[in-house]
Amino acid sequence: MEYLIHLAILFSIYAMLGVGLNLVVGYTGLLSVTHAAFYGIGAYATAILLTKTGAGFFASIILGMIVAIAVSFLIGIVLSKFKGDYYALGTFGFNTIVFAIFLNWQSLTRGPLGIPGISKPELFGINFADNLNFLILALVSLGLIYFISRFIVNSSFGRVLKTIREDEEAIQVFGYNTLYFKLAIFVISAAIAAVAGSFFASYITFVDPSSFRLMESVFILAIIILGGLANLRGSILGALFLILLPETLRFVGFPADIAAQMRQVVYGVILILLMLYRPQGLIGEYKL
Amino acid sequence: MDILPQLIINSIIAGAIYTLIALGFNLIYGATKFFNLAHGVMAAVGGYSVFYFAKTLGLDIYLAAVIGVLITGLVGYGLDRLVYSPLRKRKASNMVLLVASLGAFTAIQAIIAILFTSQFKTLSQGVGTQRIFEVFGGVITQTQIIIILAAILVMVGLVLLLYKTQLGKAVRAISDDEEVARIVGINTNKVISYTFFIGSAIAGLAGILVGFDTGIEPTMGLSLLLKGVIASIVGGIGNIYGGVFGAFLLGFVENFGIWKISGEWKDAIAFALLIIFLIFRPKGIMNK
Amino acid sequence: MKILETKNLTKRFNGVHAVDCLSIGIEKGSITGIIGPNGSGKTTLINLLSGVLPMDSGEMIIGEAQKLTRILPHQISFYGITRTFQNVRLFEQMTVLDNILVVVTERNVFSAFFEKHTEYHRKLAEEVLQKIGLWEKREQLAINLSYGQRKLLEIARALAMKSEIYLFDEPFAGLFPEMRKVVSGIIQGLKQENKTIILIEHDMGLIRELCDYIFVMDEGKLLADGKPDHVLEKREVIEAYLGE
Repeated sequence: MEYLIHLAILFSIYAMLGVGLNLVVGYTGLLSVTHAAFYGIGAYATAILLTKTGAGFFASIILGMIVAIAVSFLIGIVLSKFKGDYYALGTFGFNTIVFAIFLNWQSLTRGPLGIPGISKPELFGINFADNLNFLILALVSLGLIYFISRFIVNSSFGRVLKTIREDEEAIQVFGYNTLYFKLAIFVISAAIAAVAGSFFASYITFVDPSSFRLMESVFILAIIILGGLANLRGSILGALFLILLPETLRFVGFPADIAAQMRQVVYGVILILLMLYRPQGLIGEYKL
Repeated sequence: MDILPQLIINSIIAGAIYTLIALGFNLIYGATKFFNLAHGVMAAVGGYSVFYFAKTLGLDIYLAAVIGVLITGLVGYGLDRLVYSPLRKRKASNMVLLVASLGAFTAIQAIIAILFTSQFKTLSQGVGTQRIFEVFGGVITQTQIIIILAAILVMVGLVLLLYKTQLGKAVRAISDDEEVARIVGINTNKVISYTFFIGSAIAGLAGILVGFDTGIEPTMGLSLLLKGVIASIVGGIGNIYGGVFGAFLLGFVENFGIWKISGEWKDAIAFALLIIFLIFRPKGIMNK
Repeated sequence: MKILETKNLTKRFNGVHAVDCLSIGIEKGSITGIIGPNGSGKTTLINLLSGVLPMDSGEMIIGEAQKLTRILPHQISFYGITRTFQNVRLFEQMTVLDNILVVVTERNVFSAFFEKHTEYHRKLAEEVLQKIGLWEKREQLAINLSYGQRKLLEIARALAMKSEIYLFDEPFAGLFPEMRKVVSGIIQGLKQENKTIILIEHDMGLIRELCDYIFVMDEGKLLADGKPDHVLEKREVIEAYLGE
């Protein structure tokens, strides 16, 4: 039972990441492979704030979001000059640079040593060291993010995002400054990733750079492609699938480190199979 | 300033390695016009093949190297036949191919990790058995000289292939305009598969040489890939000479860059260079 | 009044002049045709006028007052210009209704979240879609429409902008006679509302029928201009079309 709760918490975190990334990739058509960078920013914000000051978890979420918003704004402006696969390459670059910062700005992040001893949230005296309570908090957060995202995609703003995906030049002549729209959604998506990062930091109580490499961004991308681009429930489904699947491998009897690599083989192969046979994923509305 | 000669030597060595990666990458890009991100893991395939044949099976090192290069070529060829070719047939977008190549990269890298563990291994016979030469005040090992020679030979060989053989002509025709090449009667799919073989084989060679110089680990492909991509774009994507130029430029920028900054920032510096080029000169230094 | 003019408008591609020192003036409330053989620069001209391509030199004058040497695509609607594309560019994986709604809703990033005038927009979309007969198909994805329906939707999208100046790039191409009548009717309807239409077309019958004035382009330059009947008799025009 404890194990299931653990899985459910991981699922919630990745579902949040997936929903946020889907806004950029699935709805707006921007192939962003740098999501782990904002995930990491949120995690480190929480880690640093909670271990170095007396500030609480919820304050750290705000801080993480603010930093993620600022960084993503700058990155977004630079990226706006790139198109298609060059855009993807640019995002690789940023993920790498941010990762290098996590690794090398040792006075702030303690580099590869990581930051241990991150405390749990405090709210109305509820004991969040009890994982069930933490899970509920995470699910509430996921729910909020899901509903906000749904509001966004169903609004006029969301409709414009889809046209950017379909034909950016065509929607421009109808009076839309697409740069602003792309920047806005990129920033929103980064803020959501930071929230997920904060939950991650507090749950695992330890962060180090290795959780935020390029491969992590690829993993999150795999989640939303599997679940289905431009479908928020799809991202939740994809997260469920890709979190549960490796666990079944563990039951088959692989030792732990091989299981981790098997997970990678599986989702690498899944990406290939999806591109070949079902680019719209499980319940997607948009084929890449 | 007596560190200068060593810096220059290191830059040249790095440039040579990146040249090998960029040559293969550019060759494939020229023919297919998409960023084959699986190219990086081919270096690991080459390195580990040699490890298996030379260290595990005890074959003669040169024989193992030749087998390693061939195996890598075959893996690249197979990847094209199984994955990219079917996708191209249905006119899949570049982003689909890019995602598929990401999947291939992830899966192959993980398979290598499962078969050989993630430990760092070296291909050379042992520490201290390398012959070292003193050149202009710096030192260079025998392996490193071979690397530089290999880069030169492969580049010359590739140019000869492209300009003096039928296959090379076909490749250039396809790079210019695939539609027209097909109409003129060239079996574009076959020729493209051959470019994958050749390109991947070159990457395999790079991995083998790196294995002798420093060592191999399953994740070596990513860093090499990114350097190859950066070199190619900076030099002019699709342009063979451009890739070489970009590779050496990158080698110099990296090594002189970390002279004053910690070596950990190497990747970040490389990417900063890429992003600067993508902003100001996306066609690279030598436009096609 | 000349609602739209160009002075020495030039655009080069790799040394070739796609549009070469072009100076034309469009009368407000008129239907003006742009004709010429393939490659004469007609679509490039429309692309320049709609900001899709930047001008190399020359200028655009709007309403005899605004002189512009540079115009970005998202600014043209502010100047009352809208356009269709020769190779229909709809938002494929979106519904017919969404294709129209997206051009009538809020342009501002912030207010686009909190769209207020939804009823008004739906009415406008319905009006426009009824005019071209696609209201029943409003929930269909654009990618599933027939060729003729797609061209009509492209035009409807421009209509929904309620602009002053309409740039139509080959709106009749590939359409059956019944649909041609619909488009023809739409264009004449716009004229009755005192709107200005610039029309690229190859069908000389339609040009004669609809246009008040035409410009003939050849190799990026202005070859001739005037009333259709007059211009279409000119020898150099006929020669340009028949080839060198």
